[in-house]
Amino acid sequence: MADTMGHTASTTPDASTTRNTSVALGIVVLAVAPQIFELVWSLGTVVGLGAGRTPLSALAAHAMALLLAFPSIVAKTALSPDSLLALIYSYPLFAIAILTLFVKIRAPQDYIGGIVLMAVALFALWASSDLQGMHGFSFGAGTAPRMFGVLLVALGAGIALTGLLTDGAGLSHYSWRGPLFVAAAIVFFALAIRPLGLIVTAFSSFLIAAVGSYETKWIETIIVGACLTLGCAILFPYILGLPMPMFPRFLIQ
Amino acid sequence: MDLFANLAHGFGVAFSPINLLMCLIGALVGTLVGVLPGIGTIATVAMLLPITFGLPPVGALIMLAGIYYGAQYGGSTTSILVNIPGEATSVVTALDGHQMAKQGRAGPALAIAAIGSFFAGCVATVLIAVLGAPLTKLALAFGPAEYFSLMVLGLIFAVVLAKGSVLKAIAMIVLGLLLSMVGSDIETGASRMAFNIPELADGLGFATVAMGVFGFAEIIRNLDFGAEMNRNLVQQKITGLMPTRKDLIDSAPAIGRGTVLGSILGILPGGGAVIASFAAYTLEKKIAKNPSRFGRGAIEGVAAPESANNAAAQTSFIPLLTLGIPPNAVMALMVGAMTIHGIVPGPQVMQKQPDLVWGMIASMWIGNLMLIIINLPLVGIWVRLLRVPYRLMFPSIVIFCAIGIYSVNNAPVDVILAGVFGLVGYWLIKHDFEPAPLLLGMVLGPLMEENLRRALLISRGDWSVFVTRPLSAVLLAIAAGLLVLAVLPSLRAKRDEVFTESES
Repeated sequence: MADTMGHTASTTPDASTTRNTSVALGIVVLAVAPQIFELVWSLGTVVGLGAGRTPLSALAAHAMALLLAFPSIVAKTALSPDSLLALIYSYPLFAIAILTLFVKIRAPQDYIGGIVLMAVALFALWASSDLQGMHGFSFGAGTAPRMFGVLLVALGAGIALTGLLTDGAGLSHYSWRGPLFVAAAIVFFALAIRPLGLIVTAFSSFLIAAVGSYETKWIETIIVGACLTLGCAILFPYILGLPMPMFPRFLIQ
Repeated sequence: MDLFANLAHGFGVAFSPINLLMCLIGALVGTLVGVLPGIGTIATVAMLLPITFGLPPVGALIMLAGIYYGAQYGGSTTSILVNIPGEATSVVTALDGHQMAKQGRAGPALAIAAIGSFFAGCVATVLIAVLGAPLTKLALAFGPAEYFSLMVLGLIFAVVLAKGSVLKAIAMIVLGLLLSMVGSDIETGASRMAFNIPELADGLGFATVAMGVFGFAEIIRNLDFGAEMNRNLVQQKITGLMPTRKDLIDSAPAIGRGTVLGSILGILPGGGAVIASFAAYTLEKKIAKNPSRFGRGAIEGVAAPESANNAAAQTSFIPLLTLGIPPNAVMALMVGAMTIHGIVPGPQVMQKQPDLVWGMIASMWIGNLMLIIINLPLVGIWVRLLRVPYRLMFPSIVIFCAIGIYSVNNAPVDVILAGVFGLVGYWLIKHDFEPAPLLLGMVLGPLMEENLRRALLISRGDWSVFVTRPLSAVLLAIAAGLLVLAVLPSLRAKRDEVFTESES
């Protein structure tokens, strides 16, 4: 933390331009993040997992949408959801990324925080774009989400603007080990609880999460993990009456 | 007298063996988790929420209330002994409390914290009983427009009384409102922002988001600090719990002032317990004959904020029970719990389910009594708990949370969502966004939308209804005034001054 702060304070003009380019690049990636996410997701269809478009058709559709969304609005043709995504979400963020190159960021923490909030709000605006708006004086399903979405875009812009106008904190240091292994433990738990049951899952997740700290000592971790697993196996299903599978499915059958 | 009849009824409910047991378990488990360093009140309540789902509603809420003040008490124990305030409310307690502990006076510090909390709890319980009925009557005169304005006022209060940037806090509220829109629309049934994912059709689970943003995110954040977590634990044995006569005489007026300040601030929607403890500490320092004693083990510096935060914690039940509006994130979690048990919080609860309301109010007093009786002798156990290294504690909490979330709906997707919100929460902390307003926005979102829709439907689309109805206009005017005051430089400096206490 202290290290990062010192770094921001001593940035030369040269270093700050490279910083801006990387921030702008980050925003560009953010701008196409939903498209990339769908592409990665659609890779599952290749091996027969999940439903949705194939990678190629998704790629083609999004590329078309990103390139042609603007002309099609002029031509007043009906807009596909992909073009709407490009128009509502990606284009504004591209614009912000370009703007970023020309400004001096005085509080990166606020600037980036505000822009990510704007991105979330724009995405919500796109996600609620298929909903019905006001009819007469009664609210449609889409009215409130759009209202709050627009409000959040404005607030995000405001926060980003304070990051340009006032000096403030730099980006704080992110560690990767804790978040990665805690998240891995959670994902493993979610995937394994149904097929493997509580005992195996809880114990393995405990060990995965324990990797997240540099200070883990394995023998005591295994002992504590076993005790905790046993405790939870008694507490949740029996004392609290919340039923859940205990043993791996293949052992029971 | 209505008041006494109601309280008697409440004690009748609360003294049933099963409810006494729930109250005891809640207070104990709450303290147990609250003591763990780095886990705040909100995280504790969020984590323990699932264990109350299998219980009958009255028992569940009594237990949750017990968990809440148990956690708060546990938090102050930690901040006195380890100087790691587990939560925002005990930040100021750590200043003088830890100094006292270093001077070998941890016992009296803990005792005064308990006694102060108990006294504040007694006063606040009576206050809830007194104010409950009239406020409920007022609430019945509220139409949708008034409700909407009241919620706006509540959210603005939450922003003004919170720590940090006003703009960021408002953004968090709006993000919460937006998140609450995911799922089926109540009126038209249209699926909103759910992307055809069946698990999202019911909306984002409240417990899921709370556990992610408070439970998982705090764990991940604490991992950044690593070994530093356990450094400051007072090593010597705690002897002589009883405060001296001089301690009692010194702290009595401080407890009184803290209680009054806390009770008032608790009723206001928003900051509640947090601002109360900061304000009480600042007040004591201002009126003290010798302010330099503060920060070096002044017993008033423990007594006042502890009484204030306990008083505020309890009086913050008033808006929840009478108006159905949660004034802070913990109360928002209580709303979540009530909804799961099929109770819609609001003025009608007090009339239709007197058992629940008065039973809960009476149980608060009993719970506070239990805390003072149980906890002082148990301090030794809490201290031993503090010695448990974080490297063993954090995987345990992860697993416990994961099982808890899974047990709510038996849905693996919920666990993954909570993990995602854990990472989101980590990001929010890194960018200095407070997650508490987000939670508040998420709970109030559906209520606000419904009342806004209804108000506009009744007024035939005329937005001026919010300023032409007198009550609503007054509420909105107060909200606007507060917001203006909050951004004015002079008041902002004052507000920052109250909060900077912890950094000196």
